[in-house]
Amino acid sequence: MPQMLPNFSSSVKLKYVKLGYQYLVNHILTLLLIPIMVGISIEILRLGPEEMVNIWRSLDIDLVQILCSSFLIIFICTVYFMSKPRSVYLVDYACYKPPITWRVPFSSFMEHSRLILKDNLKSVDFQMRILERSGLGEETCLPPAIHYIPPTPTMEAAREEAQIVIFSAIDSLMQKTGIKAKDIDILIVNCSLFSPTPSLSAMVVNKYKLRSNIKSYNLSGMGCSAGLISMDLAKDLLQAHPNSYALVVSTEIITPNYYKGSERAMLLPNCLFRMGGAAILLSNKNRDKRRAKYRLVHVVRTHKGSDDKAYKCVYEQEDSQGKVGINLSKDLMVIAAEALKSNITTIGPLVLPASEQLLFLFTLIGRKIFNPKWKPYIPDFKQAFEHFCIHAGGRAVIDELQKNLQLSSEHVEASRMTLHRFGNTSSSSLWYEMSYIEAKGRMKKGDRVWQIAFGSGFKCNSAVWKCNRTIKTPTDGPWQDCIDRYPVHIPEIVKL
Amino acid sequence: MDLVPMFLYCLPLLCLFYNLWKIFDKRRHQNCYILDYECYKPSDDRKLNTRFCGEVIRRNKQLGLHEYKFLLKAIVSSGIGEDTYGPKMVTEGREMSPTLDDAIIEMDDFFIDTIDKLFKKTGISPSEVDVLVVNISMLAAMPSLSSRIIYHYKMREDIKVYNLTGMGCSASPIAINIVQNIFKTQRNVQALVVTSESLSLGWYTGKDRSMILANCLFRSGGCAILLTNKVALKEKAMFKLKCLVRTHHGAKDESYGCCIQKEDDQGFVGIHLGKNLPKAATRAFIENLKEIAPKILPVRELLRFILLTLIRKMTQKSTKTGAASRPVINFKTGVDHFCLHTGGKAVIDAVAQNLNLSEHDIEPARMTLHRFGNTSASSIWYVLAYMQAKKRLKKGDKVFMISFGAGFKCNSCLWEVMRDLDQDGNVWKEFINSYPPKTITNPFLEKYGWIQEEDPDTFCIPDDYVIP
Repeated sequence: MPQMLPNFSSSVKLKYVKLGYQYLVNHILTLLLIPIMVGISIEILRLGPEEMVNIWRSLDIDLVQILCSSFLIIFICTVYFMSKPRSVYLVDYACYKPPITWRVPFSSFMEHSRLILKDNLKSVDFQMRILERSGLGEETCLPPAIHYIPPTPTMEAAREEAQIVIFSAIDSLMQKTGIKAKDIDILIVNCSLFSPTPSLSAMVVNKYKLRSNIKSYNLSGMGCSAGLISMDLAKDLLQAHPNSYALVVSTEIITPNYYKGSERAMLLPNCLFRMGGAAILLSNKNRDKRRAKYRLVHVVRTHKGSDDKAYKCVYEQEDSQGKVGINLSKDLMVIAAEALKSNITTIGPLVLPASEQLLFLFTLIGRKIFNPKWKPYIPDFKQAFEHFCIHAGGRAVIDELQKNLQLSSEHVEASRMTLHRFGNTSSSSLWYEMSYIEAKGRMKKGDRVWQIAFGSGFKCNSAVWKCNRTIKTPTDGPWQDCIDRYPVHIPEIVKL
Repeated sequence: MDLVPMFLYCLPLLCLFYNLWKIFDKRRHQNCYILDYECYKPSDDRKLNTRFCGEVIRRNKQLGLHEYKFLLKAIVSSGIGEDTYGPKMVTEGREMSPTLDDAIIEMDDFFIDTIDKLFKKTGISPSEVDVLVVNISMLAAMPSLSSRIIYHYKMREDIKVYNLTGMGCSASPIAINIVQNIFKTQRNVQALVVTSESLSLGWYTGKDRSMILANCLFRSGGCAILLTNKVALKEKAMFKLKCLVRTHHGAKDESYGCCIQKEDDQGFVGIHLGKNLPKAATRAFIENLKEIAPKILPVRELLRFILLTLIRKMTQKSTKTGAASRPVINFKTGVDHFCLHTGGKAVIDAVAQNLNLSEHDIEPARMTLHRFGNTSASSIWYVLAYMQAKKRLKKGDKVFMISFGAGFKCNSCLWEVMRDLDQDGNVWKEFINSYPPKTITNPFLEKYGWIQEEDPDTFCIPDDYVIP
């Protein structure tokens, strides 16, 4: 007992020292300014009002000069504000909620697996083990074509799934924001593995009768991080086009990509990927400043494609029997950690408070000059962000990031619960997670959110949002009927 | 005390001038220049002449004589010549069962050939590329083809990359549009745009006529373009983008459905080209012209057109004959060269008629269709290369590019030539002197024209038919 107490007291002392240091460095400008302001006000009080009027009179400025200078100042301010880059606001977003009849509880999934892969019991076993440890729940959904035994993934079925997911999300978004189809100026659709001709963006234009001078873009093949790539593109477009609305649709169409073979590494995506989609409305109009939910602060993209292992770690290929599927390599976690590190080195200086940056700088200098054996300082990102939305790529990804960024379980709760309730919905999972945080009533004005997503290639993209207004617990949304059940405890292994 | 008011004035004035200069400087850095571009010429063992096409049709057991006749007629009257290129899996006889590997190899051949040449020509290294936009309509692989390029050329980590798919034959201006917008927000950026079409996996293996047509008309081709907004590279640039207009008619159901990828009755996937494709194309074309004409034509031409239209309206009202011919706007007052999408002979003829173009104006498009076929999104770059090879492009000339695509989209842009261009390193270099040829009628027409008159009941392959 006596041995523990000193340790405890020293760690508490350290904690307070660290807190004190953070307050000092982060608010240094205010701290310096206070004595100056106090000095000036004391001086003014000492001089008295008549002295002030005398000094003013002696300057000998007449009315014309005052008018000219004030006019100049107003003009300069206008020019300055006009040349500033425009802020991008997220007005609102809507996530698609699949109907309960399309859910795939473990028992259905295993039954299907046994019937379809009846010649490959080892593969069935493999799928069962993956499901047990996946962190998915019993309410994740797959599209109707996959519920058939064997699945019937025709192009018609894929188009239908796309229509249901995308149109529901956009309908819900239009209802929430009150926007009309004619108001949309920019449309970006991203869906990784399904790209018909004409594109899904043309499908949206056709359904909602969007204007003929709409700027539409259809991104695909960019993996689970494509949602943030679309955000980046929307941000650049909104800088170049004043007074516009941008509609971004992120989804992944499961129907054509269900792996029909029996190669184990390629069966993994079948166990994890589920239906989902999100529609997001971005704006750079001044009148949306009040009603927008978030403001986009930064988007940072990192592409590790030049590295051989990173490029091949998520790879679509044919197996020995010619069936197409996605092969996930075993080094996925290591590569993800590497990509995250690169991303953090870029985003760190942009978002970390001065205290963390100084510490990082000191340890960097110390390691380079004094002693390379010093442990590298991992900046405390909890200082920079209140909420974290980590792409629900799988349990291992969330665990890895929690460890690397030293996050508590409450920080990653949104990601884990999204993985449990909706599965890995690819690029739209970040929006389900945001929705979870809002549904729990945790989003307050001024909160900063960090969205991180990984994708094939290997990419690591992150976006930083700042909450514009305290968000009341929404009465609609994908979590509305089940939020009270969450958070649930997800065991390491669910026995099947 | 005089110094104080002087100082009080100078400071804000300086601030003002600084801000104004910042705005002006920003505009200067927003121009979109093409440094260079390189079109793809596949290897000669991939050439598809008409006889070979006939053989491909013949060995498809699903097609009967009616389809054979229909397709040969289409090929013969399409304006496509004997030296166009197809995907390897067709020339190797495996078109009924293409694999994902075939598609990837097809793209790899294009990347390695064209992008290497482009980097060598311009002297820019891959690590200097800041933006990469790839548009290949019919292939969505994972990782994307843009990642494949980054992997192969070891490009930087902070590269901005976009992979567009499904946007059809009009996707080139869309890719340029993305680059143009990025140029407006960042300085000193170099962008690489890669545009092509993947024919391997899109090959239709059924027997619906409207869908096999796509097999016969599309050919392999591609283009890589290097763009920049660096003011320092202005002297080396070839073209400057003046304006770009996009028109999307997807809101109209007939336009949306006239070129659509779907399954036929037997479940084979192919691109269905509907009968109202020309009408949808014309509508989109006219609306696009209406929007871009005021931006690119000189004021006197616009005034002339407006005056003539008003006069015609007034005379129509008074005489009610309506026989007066419509005034046609003369695009040649603002545009010197026309790069038309080589969608087919009918497309080129229709556009020429609408714009009142002469044979000289549409010669580049016709020759491109003859030599390279319809290479989808990259066709306009082959047309541009032809003009360059024929030494038609002089400094200050205006080049108008227009393309149509599924959706239905019509996109156009206007480029200004920055310096006199000659044909060094051009894809047309080796055979430009043999163009235009004396005749471009299909030799198949003469030799096998008898097929048009054959009766299906008594038809049998003649004895002297040699399999090519």
